[in-house]
Amino acid sequence: MKEDNYILFEKYLSNELTTEELDYFDLELSTNTYFKQEFEIYKSLNESLSSKFENEENETELRSTLTNLGKEFIKEEKKGKVISIKRLRPLMVAASIALLVGFFLFNNGNPVYSDFAKHNNLELVVRSENNSAISKAEEAFNTKNYKTAFAQLTVLESEFPNDIEIQLHKGICLLELDKYSQAETIFTNISNGTSAFKNKATWYKALTYLKQEQFENCSNTLQTIPKSADEYELAQKLLKKL
Amino acid sequence: MDKKKHADHIYIEALLKNDSRVLSKIYEKYSPKIVAMVKKNSGNADDAQDIIQEVLVTIYHQANEKNFILTCPFDAYFYLLCKRKWLNELKKRGNNRVTIVEEITSISEEQEQQVEETEIFEQQHQLFEKMFKELGQKCQELLKTTFKIKSMEKVAEILGVTYGYARKKKSQCMGQITKLVKNSNEFQQLKSY
Repeated sequence: MKEDNYILFEKYLSNELTTEELDYFDLELSTNTYFKQEFEIYKSLNESLSSKFENEENETELRSTLTNLGKEFIKEEKKGKVISIKRLRPLMVAASIALLVGFFLFNNGNPVYSDFAKHNNLELVVRSENNSAISKAEEAFNTKNYKTAFAQLTVLESEFPNDIEIQLHKGICLLELDKYSQAETIFTNISNGTSAFKNKATWYKALTYLKQEQFENCSNTLQTIPKSADEYELAQKLLKKL
Repeated sequence: MDKKKHADHIYIEALLKNDSRVLSKIYEKYSPKIVAMVKKNSGNADDAQDIIQEVLVTIYHQANEKNFILTCPFDAYFYLLCKRKWLNELKKRGNNRVTIVEEITSISEEQEQQVEETEIFEQQHQLFEKMFKELGQKCQELLKTTFKIKSMEKVAEILGVTYGYARKKKSQCMGQITKLVKNSNEFQQLKSY
């Protein structure tokens, strides 16, 4: 192939052929297969290389987009069930809201009886010939068997009608058994008295209201517990939550 | 333009515009099937990612250079291109007796034709790139400059030569690469299409 032909191709592609040259070109193209083949390759190369170099930057940008998409959509599958943070975000937000709501409710919700009803073990001071009733009552009470405890305490009460401790624990049993009015009567009586169990009874009276969710009565009762009382701190703690 | 664009031609346009929002749909909708196919045939997710990217870049080049119009659904067209590319990759890796475990995909004649069109384009594109690298350094530089700047007058100005001389030089370099292409084995194969 003569080098002249390549110049001819170049001129043809940039529309710079003279009429004479164009006539020659057309003739060659239709009669000379060798000429035709070379021109076709030349033309394809011209198109391909010009497109390649014109779009070099765009191709780089496209590749970077595709690489990122590949990472986002394909790599995660490779790792198995790992979900990208991006996709988890709505879930995470929902979870933290739920946590917040929970926290909020916990702090602002009303206090619950069971949180405060921590009864000390019963160790009756009284001693009698009927020791079995005492031990039975203690055992039942300490194992939260309030029905049995109540029965044993009632037996003991007939023997020691003035023992406040027995009465108080009868009240606690009644409270645990949800016999509120009876429990309240007992606690009120002790509370209005002058015994050593006075403040404790007031505390239990408040708990009786708490268990029934009578928060205002509970609060009013708690406020009558004096600073000097053992129950004062507990009472203040409960008051804050009301 | 007598060809009728398929609705999925939006993906071709997205490649030209580098529209990541639409392109992400390609990955979301079509990549799982390709990843599964590659994994089933001794590849991993990285291989699948490379195959997908190379196929998409090829389609991009074809659209830029040849004004490629998609006339069939993207799904089967894209899948078939990726599958065949992976098959070639396996052969290159020395895995000679590869038969891809195939789920039945019915392919229309039109789809087959579009796939072949893209494949031939790719082979030609690769051949040209390879031959370009075989040119001397000076020719490579000159051609790069002329194609990037487009205006031959400007190229002449930059090179400090006359317009006629610059054009002559370009045609000489183009002549060299034309010969390289014509004499290559790949070209002989391509011609048979």
